[in-house]
Amino acid sequence: MAKNITFIVTKDCQLACKYCYLVGKNSKERMPWEVAKQAIDYILDHESDMREASVVWDFIGGEPFLEIDLIDQICDYLKTEMFRRNHHWFNSYRFSFSTNGINYHTDKVQRFIAKNHEHLSIGITIDGTERKHDLNRIYKGDGRGSYADVARNIPLWLEQFPHAGTKVTISSEDIPYIKESVLHLYSLGIHEVNINCVFENVWKPGDDRLFEEQLTQLADAIIDGGYYRDYACSFFSEHLGKPLDCVTQNQNWCGAGKMLAVDAEGNFYPCTRFAQYSLREKKAWIIGNIRDGIDKNKLRPFLLLDRCTQSPRKCIDCEVAEGCAWCQGENYDAADTPTIYQRATAICLMHKARVRANNYYWNKLFRKLELEDAREPYEENKPKPNPLNC
Amino acid sequence: MIQYLVILLDDTSVSFCHYGNAKKERRLMPLETLEAGILFGMKENLNIQFVYPAYALPEAYNKAVERVAHVKIKPAAMPDNADVVVMDGWEECESWTAGAGVSCVLRLPKAEWFGHAGRAAALLEKAERLNVVLTDVETFTEDDFKAYEASLQELAGSLAAAYASGKTPQLNLLTDRMMLDKMNNCGAGDTNITLAPDGKFYVCPAFYQAEGGYAIGSLAGGLDIKNAQLYRLDHAPLCRHCDAYQCRRCVWLNRKTTCEANTPGHEQCVVAHLERNASRQLLLEVRKQGTFLPDKEEIREINYLDPFEIRKEW
Ligand code: SF4
Ligand code: SF4
Repeated sequence: MAKNITFIVTKDCQLACKYCYLVGKNSKERMPWEVAKQAIDYILDHESDMREASVVWDFIGGEPFLEIDLIDQICDYLKTEMFRRNHHWFNSYRFSFSTNGINYHTDKVQRFIAKNHEHLSIGITIDGTERKHDLNRIYKGDGRGSYADVARNIPLWLEQFPHAGTKVTISSEDIPYIKESVLHLYSLGIHEVNINCVFENVWKPGDDRLFEEQLTQLADAIIDGGYYRDYACSFFSEHLGKPLDCVTQNQNWCGAGKMLAVDAEGNFYPCTRFAQYSLREKKAWIIGNIRDGIDKNKLRPFLLLDRCTQSPRKCIDCEVAEGCAWCQGENYDAADTPTIYQRATAICLMHKARVRANNYYWNKLFRKLELEDAREPYEENKPKPNPLNC
Repeated sequence: MIQYLVILLDDTSVSFCHYGNAKKERRLMPLETLEAGILFGMKENLNIQFVYPAYALPEAYNKAVERVAHVKIKPAAMPDNADVVVMDGWEECESWTAGAGVSCVLRLPKAEWFGHAGRAAALLEKAERLNVVLTDVETFTEDDFKAYEASLQELAGSLAAAYASGKTPQLNLLTDRMMLDKMNNCGAGDTNITLAPDGKFYVCPAFYQAEGGYAIGSLAGGLDIKNAQLYRLDHAPLCRHCDAYQCRRCVWLNRKTTCEANTPGHEQCVVAHLERNASRQLLLEVRKQGTFLPDKEEIREINYLDPFEIRKEW
């Protein structure tokens, strides 16, 4: 497994997406170079505490590419230092970005891509059709939709990263557009669509039925249109919707605590969702800082988390528990007390709806493949997506 | 299930545990609150423990407490009729003369303990039972662990000699684990709760008298323990696998060190395991002298001091 280390380089963004969980976004908090350098020095000095075979250096914001000069400096320093120290990550590292794509074509970003291409993973967030995307992903200030400015960069992005996937987040208002959005992303040439419902408690009565209906229509479109052969949509998974055992299937879902995030002030977090700008109700969960180091005691609750200890009875007994996800940060934010051990279940009905549509998808697909005598070739060549947890 | 109710008679009621009392101003529990608390305890079938401040209470209070069976926890400065006397540091032990059946709590920081632990053996001569409470467990370093281990070994020698001479001293750090075959922790928020002078319930006195606590209901509104399961052993992911049965499993220290009531910090675990291992040695030693606790199993040898380090083995 790779260690995921995130630099929160800025809290600024050109957009003000309606579903954005970053409640404390602002244009003031940019990471100074000295902080980034000290964080890197601390992390590389503590090689024995971070034994994962490889590392993903992640850059998020706000919009990370607003800080491309700083990022370039950080990446240069990382490469030099990993080499100089003969660090075990030198031969196994990636730089990863989740961007809104607006600045993707600019000279600075393109120079950075050319310099680091073989170690880069870049995901551009595009929510689907123009109508769907512009419903949420709007510019700060004038409220203009951002679709056109992102879509023009998609061909360049796919030329440079043909296997790139995109991440789509579904909130209550997005449900009617799911089918058309996924098909639209496929039509743009994006083969992997990682899509999930927000974990926050935004769902209205009846949303689950609408969601099931959309996913059923999407299933028909993917199967009837033959997309299943080389396109992936993370809503449909063969490993979904079975009961889970509290002994043999008790793993935590979320990677918080195994990851590390650092912000502009030099504070360390178990994941970015525990930084103050991501939290609505609770205080930031700081596990240390670049000057004093990481307080390992503050990480223990994360590394001890298991599924059943944090789950309410209904989740433990759930007949379709498999694949029902959670975000530790949202659990913490929504909990009755400041704990990460109270699983939020706002997603419950949506998961159950997804399971029904997913069952439909596989029943329909496997029957079709059997009738066409095509099951074996499908199994051999099926797309293998990299599902993202958050 | 809640079985005990601790009633703090005053804001300055003595600390009998790991926390320091940050409240320095006297604030006596209103008499109506005390009476309502006693009534609550009686109706809920709880064993009541009154915690006293270091000054004499008005007569009406003395009368009120006598209406129900109870335990009195008192500071060394006012030890009359106490069931448990709390001493802050060695100095307070010097002048103390024990009565029959009285237990003694000795609170002190590590600096006072290291190098002086032998004095606990002398104190055990006077007290029915001695509970030693270190008030800065969370600050232990690797060197402190070594010093603590040495202090326990020294004391174990004295205790083995006492057993050989037919005495049965009780010292929480060394003899409790020998007697136990399951967890016997503090139980704050699970088997016991605390009523403070403000009429509110707390997980334990620390959650009222030290910084950063919170209430879990009130006499007026009833008990309301949110996420109550997190105070129970079955929801403590590390402790439920542990066999340092004598450990306090202090949920207040847990919150302070790890931010979670159900997760202990490294220092608490190592300290408890050093005690566990010293108890193991003591048990082996005492059994060399003859049959001792024949129905108790041996405490097994283990190769870790913090169960967190072996968590993948479960
Ligand atoms: S939780 Fe228990 S052991 Fe810890 S300070 Fe409170 S009473 Fe003492
Ligand atoms: S030693 Fe650690 S794991 Fe064991 S009961 Fe005590 S606090 Fe829990």
